[in-house]
Amino acid sequence: MASQLIREWAGIQQFPAATQSKLLELLGKLKQENVCTLTILVMGKGGVGKSSTVNSIIGERAVAVSAFQSETPRPVMVSRSRAGFTLNIIDTPGLVEGGYVNDQALDLIKKFLLNKTIDVLLYVDRLDAYRVDNLDKQIVKAITESFGKEIWRRGIVVLSHAQLSPPDGLTYDEFTSRRSEALLKIVRMGARIRKQEIQAAAIPVVLVENSGRCNKNESDEKILPSGTAWIPNLVQTITDVVLSGSKGILVDQKLIEGPNPNNRGKVLIPFILAFQYFFVVKRIQKWIKYDIANESSPSWA
Amino acid sequence: MASIAAPGLALSVHRSHRRLTPATATTTTAASVPSLTIKSKHPTFPSSQNPKPSSSRPRDNFDILGSKKLQNIVKTTAAIGCGLYALSNGVSNAKLSGNGGGGSSGGSGGGGGGGGGGDSFWSKIFSPAAIAGEEESQEWDSHGLPANIVVQLNKLSGFKKYKVSDIMFLDRRRGSTVGTEDSFFEMVSLRPNGVYTKAQLTKELETLATSGMFEKVDLDAKTNPNGTVGVTISFLESTWQSADRFRCINVGLMPQSKPIEMDPDMTEKEKLEYYRSQEKDYRRRIERSRPCLLPPSVQREILQMLREQGAVSARLLQKIRDRVQQWYHENGYACAQVVNFGNLNTKEVVCEVVEGDITQMVVQFQDKLGNVCEGNTQYPVVRRELPRQLRQGQVFNIEAGKQALRNINSLALFSNIEVNPRPDEKNEGGIIVEIKLKELEQKSAEVSTEWSIVPGRGGRPTLASIQPGGTVSFEHRNLKGLNRSILGSVTTSNFLNPQDDLAFKLEYVHPYLDGVYNSRNRTLKASCFNSRKLSPVFTGGPGVDEVPPIWVDRAGLKANITENFTRQSKFTYGLVMEEITTRDESSHISSRGQRVLPSGGISADGPPTTLSETGIDRMAFLQANITRDNTKFVNGTIVGERNVFQVDQGLGIGSKFPFFNRHQLTMTRFVQLKQVEEGVGKAPPPVLVLHGHYGGCVGDLPSYDAFTLGGPYSVRGYNMGEIGAARNILELAAEMRIPVRNTHVYAFAEHGNDLGSSKDVKGNPTEVYRRMGHGSSYGVGVKLGLVRAEYAVDHNSGTGAIFFRFGERF
Repeated sequence: MASQLIREWAGIQQFPAATQSKLLELLGKLKQENVCTLTILVMGKGGVGKSSTVNSIIGERAVAVSAFQSETPRPVMVSRSRAGFTLNIIDTPGLVEGGYVNDQALDLIKKFLLNKTIDVLLYVDRLDAYRVDNLDKQIVKAITESFGKEIWRRGIVVLSHAQLSPPDGLTYDEFTSRRSEALLKIVRMGARIRKQEIQAAAIPVVLVENSGRCNKNESDEKILPSGTAWIPNLVQTITDVVLSGSKGILVDQKLIEGPNPNNRGKVLIPFILAFQYFFVVKRIQKWIKYDIANESSPSWA
Repeated sequence: MASIAAPGLALSVHRSHRRLTPATATTTTAASVPSLTIKSKHPTFPSSQNPKPSSSRPRDNFDILGSKKLQNIVKTTAAIGCGLYALSNGVSNAKLSGNGGGGSSGGSGGGGGGGGGGDSFWSKIFSPAAIAGEEESQEWDSHGLPANIVVQLNKLSGFKKYKVSDIMFLDRRRGSTVGTEDSFFEMVSLRPNGVYTKAQLTKELETLATSGMFEKVDLDAKTNPNGTVGVTISFLESTWQSADRFRCINVGLMPQSKPIEMDPDMTEKEKLEYYRSQEKDYRRRIERSRPCLLPPSVQREILQMLREQGAVSARLLQKIRDRVQQWYHENGYACAQVVNFGNLNTKEVVCEVVEGDITQMVVQFQDKLGNVCEGNTQYPVVRRELPRQLRQGQVFNIEAGKQALRNINSLALFSNIEVNPRPDEKNEGGIIVEIKLKELEQKSAEVSTEWSIVPGRGGRPTLASIQPGGTVSFEHRNLKGLNRSILGSVTTSNFLNPQDDLAFKLEYVHPYLDGVYNSRNRTLKASCFNSRKLSPVFTGGPGVDEVPPIWVDRAGLKANITENFTRQSKFTYGLVMEEITTRDESSHISSRGQRVLPSGGISADGPPTTLSETGIDRMAFLQANITRDNTKFVNGTIVGERNVFQVDQGLGIGSKFPFFNRHQLTMTRFVQLKQVEEGVGKAPPPVLVLHGHYGGCVGDLPSYDAFTLGGPYSVRGYNMGEIGAARNILELAAEMRIPVRNTHVYAFAEHGNDLGSSKDVKGNPTEVYRRMGHGSSYGVGVKLGLVRAEYAVDHNSGTGAIFFRFGERF
């Protein structure tokens, strides 16, 4: 994985000129802040469009996608460099299998991420799913437990399949805001972000539409029903998050396994032993002596 | 004859005017002293094939089992004790009644008085009706006299067998007959419808006359028309002047004072002199005697009897004798006997008791044929088991004898134990306690085999599926006569392929570590063991399909020292070195637990099974266990308190240098909720059981040493480990036991909690197998013999189930 060839970001050429200039501007901004590499982790349930989103950002078909089945059995990192700037996007397998959080997949991801720094987490879900349930919470929880609560400071909720017609009686904006609000609530619950912290760590929501039938504006940029060009918008948000001042998450052995509980308190063992001898064993011995003294002897004795 | 007898009686009573001898038998209690015997074919308990490894699991139940075994032993011996008690009861009864007989032979001046006592005892035990019936079949002779005339005893024919139709007692003083319930009645061995010769009747009269109870006694026969005779015994009860003091003295080991023949030609002065010297002698006797064990309360009771009565009559003395002997026998002094009343006609009644002082204690070994032989067991080994009350100079007590019996039996060295009090011929009134022991064979080896037929292909057993299995064991007991032993056993279910499940054990036990004379009771035990157990850590939670099991094999060495403080409280400490191997179903070493994926596949990346993550751990650690147990049985129900604290202290020796402190504290209280009278057959009290168990570990904790929650000895209503496996756990339980008939019903509530420490076990097996980490249950149950049948509701899923379990939860 480390030896993976870092290719030139050729896909950027595919973008319309407006998008290109916008992206380059953002990359320049990052470089100004001495950020030369950017690692983006994409996670979410299966089939929500993680891989497609990766492909959309890169601007080429970097990872295989299929409409009907999971094409990502293990995490894949796509690295592209452009003018001294490296963009790593890690695509991951879906976290859900059989109605449960797939611990195995999570383990794979964790192992894959060993010794890497995650700058941004894209938590992908579909905009056109109407409800949130406990499973969403479980996923968020699993992510939080794996990488720590801090990762949500670098988290962005991405809602795919954004080009839709909202159900009756709702405007597009109303629908997206309600959907994202519901999802954010779940994320906050799953990540155990307290009320006071919500303001400080507001998780941005970005809408994307990976479909080739996506509407385009006059400069050929892919746009959402609301009219925003979403690729620059996404990269803009990523840049904002990266530059928001929080630190990237370095995934090391300790983070993956958690603190080794076997080592905790080891230093105290001699003291514990002494305590046990003097305060427990001695105490029980005293009780036994008391028992012997109070033993009712038979009448003949 | 009667006329001769009558003066004789008068003589005995009048001459020994001051001394009544209700039973002059010289306390030769040979027949009446019960002997205690215990026979045990094999008092050892079969050692378990799978020795539990030292580092017990959270609920390894090693100690529980141990204590249960102990209880069993206690119970069995108690049962034996009960049997003995019943026996001794019978005997003491017999002795009371046998006194008359004893007296009779004593009176006849013969030396062998004891035998007579015994005979009458047996004749009493075997119902008199039977004897009468037997005699009825014999011929009896008609009196051959006119009907309805009164014939004196000496007028009866010496050649005839008379059938006695009925017996009447006539109190001459009161001028009335006395009923059969009168205490005199039992002194007579004649029975209605019995057939007696004149000689027998004369003997009977003599017996009565010399008993000292009567001033005058006569026996007349009244002829009946059908040829039988009715016997009338008319008597004049002896009485003395009233007394207001009572004294009881122990005259055991003192020579019986024999009255000097009084010359009938003595002058008045000589007579006075004689009486005075007799009085002086008696006073000296009292002074020399030792105080007796009779408690003041009984003495006061007797004094009360004396005061109420006014004049001291023979009947009263008999009553006093009975009361005193009753107290002695009730308190286990089976050899105690009232031998004399002295100082009559003064203000004081002196009751002379031979209490049964032990003059000697003999330990005897017998060979298989019962011959006395030299034993292998060293004397101090037996001696230290004997209660102090059985030593020389103490009064023999049957309870102490039973205690000795139990203690010696617990040595498990003897096949037959007898504790036998026997009268000391050289020392009148003394008792020699004989302990007869038959030793078990020192060396024994045993091979037991079994064939098991395993269902083969298609469920049908084939020739290849018949497996020879069994146990080979040997034991060398009582090395050097100091109860040291070596025992070993090998068990397998398939000798052809023993590596599958070979269980072995080799153990050396060395008691009396501080010397056999030292009262400190420490035992060294060294053993070499192996075991195989299913790990409850790798168990699924509710709703999780079968989790592939992990077997934990342990093999190692263990040496520990156990110090017994009391029968139940002890302190054990020692060193354990073991190798732990974790295997999967197919006996392959597995370093990680397996789990079933939602897709149905099995992945082997579950929690690590061992510390080294190779599947094989080696470690050495110190283990200490202190148990305080003051529980006792109140009418068959356990009451008291039990506290157990156990620490396993890792030494940093072994794979990955394991250094840990694994500790658990168990507190169980059996609270008796109602005071009840104790005794055989009385109802046991209701009991509230409160139980708490804390287990914790600091440092390296391999999964096989994690504490698991759930199971019949943890939280009932769940499977073993169904609640979770954690680093620290807390279990709380309460159970209410209500006695019903011979058994009890109970209701319980239990809770187990991992205190949030499941995640502190490497790999978090609790979560991987989708367990809650905490859970409660409640239920009701009934005890049916050894089996508990209970309905328990598991609170996590809210469903209930019926369980049958062996043994006790606490």
